[in-house]
Amino acid sequence: MAEIVLQHVMKNYGSLYAVNDVSLTVNDGEFVALVGPSGCGKTTTLNLIAGLLPMSGGDIVIGDRLVNDLDPKDRDIAMVFQNYALYPNKSVYKNLAFPLQMRKLPAEQIDRKVKEAARLLDITHLLERKPRELSGGQQQRVALGRALVRDPAVFLMDEPLSNLDAKLRVQMRSEIKRFHHNLNATIVYVTHDQLEAVTMADKMAVMNGGLLLQYDTPANVFANPVNTFVASFVGSPAMSLIPLDAVTHGTEASLRSPEGWDLPLSPLNARKIASSSTSKIILGARHSTLKLHKSEVPGSVPGKVYTVEPTGDITFAQIFINGAVVNISVEPSVLLTPDEQVFIEFDQDRMHLFDAETTMALQAA
Amino acid sequence: MSGVTEGAIFTDRPRTGADKRAGLLSRMWKQRADYLYVLPALIVMMVVIAYPIYYTIDLSLFRTPASLQLRDKIFIGLDNYTTILSSASFWKVTWQTLIWTFFSTLFAFLLGLGAALALHREFVGRGLLRALLLIPWVVSAVAASYVWKWLYHSDFGAIGAMMVQLGLADQPINFVDNINTALPSLIVVNIWKEFSFAMIMLMAGLQTVPEQLLRAAKVDGANAWQRFWHVTFPHLAGVSTVTILLLMVANFNSFIIPWIMTGGGPAGSTDIWITQIYQLAFGRQRWGVAAAYSVLLFLIMMTLGYFYVRALTQGDKERAGA
Repeated sequence: MAEIVLQHVMKNYGSLYAVNDVSLTVNDGEFVALVGPSGCGKTTTLNLIAGLLPMSGGDIVIGDRLVNDLDPKDRDIAMVFQNYALYPNKSVYKNLAFPLQMRKLPAEQIDRKVKEAARLLDITHLLERKPRELSGGQQQRVALGRALVRDPAVFLMDEPLSNLDAKLRVQMRSEIKRFHHNLNATIVYVTHDQLEAVTMADKMAVMNGGLLLQYDTPANVFANPVNTFVASFVGSPAMSLIPLDAVTHGTEASLRSPEGWDLPLSPLNARKIASSSTSKIILGARHSTLKLHKSEVPGSVPGKVYTVEPTGDITFAQIFINGAVVNISVEPSVLLTPDEQVFIEFDQDRMHLFDAETTMALQAA
Repeated sequence: MSGVTEGAIFTDRPRTGADKRAGLLSRMWKQRADYLYVLPALIVMMVVIAYPIYYTIDLSLFRTPASLQLRDKIFIGLDNYTTILSSASFWKVTWQTLIWTFFSTLFAFLLGLGAALALHREFVGRGLLRALLLIPWVVSAVAASYVWKWLYHSDFGAIGAMMVQLGLADQPINFVDNINTALPSLIVVNIWKEFSFAMIMLMAGLQTVPEQLLRAAKVDGANAWQRFWHVTFPHLAGVSTVTILLLMVANFNSFIIPWIMTGGGPAGSTDIWITQIYQLAFGRQRWGVAAAYSVLLFLIMMTLGYFYVRALTQGDKERAGA
């Protein structure tokens, strides 16, 4: 196992920057998820680490070796692909043996390692089958096996679960997590599904437009998103963002809506407003931090029910506040009807304030 | 009307007991609209395909002396077949046909594969080269045969002249007027004419090789040759089988190049089945023997055709199973 260091890694196609100055360190044995929407540069970053694409700039270190100019096979990495990429004409056994044969290991050693990997992943009974005779989950396990059998320094996984159906995905998610735990492997895992990243990874790197926006533990990313993109990308349902105007009087501050209400802010939040250069503010709040009232209470703001989605043990509602859609969760016993007038109370300690112009989170001075 | 469309679309509908008991004829009657729709196509096929086949088979059982009119032909059973199979020229022509077919197919395929692989990677002028390599396939076989005839010409041929100038030969070589070099020379022309076809087929096949598999092989440590051998080539197996079978059928049946360039000569050294049949029929008016020859060729073609269809449907099954 080994650590991976990316320093100012660039990849551009002409004026299009697929990966723009990304620097991050994956510690030995860490599970890091690269997450972001389609085209954010996460898969390109993975391919750069793998050496499948040439870099336009920067350095990549795996273990203690600078690998910039090394071929994929010399980087001591193994890769798991989205559509498994098993060799269709080879049996499972031969698929697992292939990377070892390419490294010219003696036959008995290959046999021992293949059987060991098969036992670990519980696919011993499938060894003689062809990939097309396997289910999606089994194919994915073989793909993991082929990566594992070589005992690489680093595992690179490119959306390995996105071809599976929802139920199998949840199951394989825990299997991969277990895989990481058992092997203490260094894993870089690409996904567009923030839930996978949050549930599996030690750290997540949120990317958008080729830029690395935030690199931290899922809990920290969830609690302190650096900007509105990260705020709305991580968490489900998404964090609600309401554009408002900040009004300050002395050390106090409040948020004012054109709809005619004022939301007074706590001293800490007021300090955040004071440090900002703009009065255009985006208020962010996660559904679980909001309280719904049927009648007005101090510190609450008016809204109108848009839709109600009961899920069984929790009911999600979408509320229109100042023209923005706000997600909120309530007890199933709370009955709401569309267009009903409600009042929403914010948790001052868990609300987020963003600069509407730079989209960056405001910090208290 | 509703019953009619039901029959047309839901032929796999669960059958009732009455359906099962009903005979073939009544089932056909129930689906009479379906049969009506395909009837025009059936009639056309009967006239242009089935009837000529029937007539050829029929004719192969008769002797047709040149002195008599065709309608006065004499029934002789399978005598024409015995005549053919016991003649020395038949075995010579068959051997030449096999050599012609085998080497033309082999080298057209290999050359096509090489060209397809070379054109698969990105480089400046790829489009132009691809167009150039397609020329043999698109020019008329008749025109090409005449051009090659001149290229090979013992007195005025460019190839002979070039070989003399390069010091490879003392005097221009008699490519197509020599019984030892005529057939190989024609095979070269045939390969030149056909390799573009294999190239197109294999280029299409190459585009279906999944990029991720090649990347996986790269990460697994396979070099370029190993990636070709373990990923690309197995992926091309289906299209290769189809291409080779199509080339074999085309070569077994090919007529234009040998007929125009040598007419089967010199001394029958470039005679293959088709040119032989043509000479028997239209040169020597031995219709019966020519027909019998054609029936034999037909049987061989049908065998190749069977494997061709099987190769095609096998691909379907594999895709359906995947």
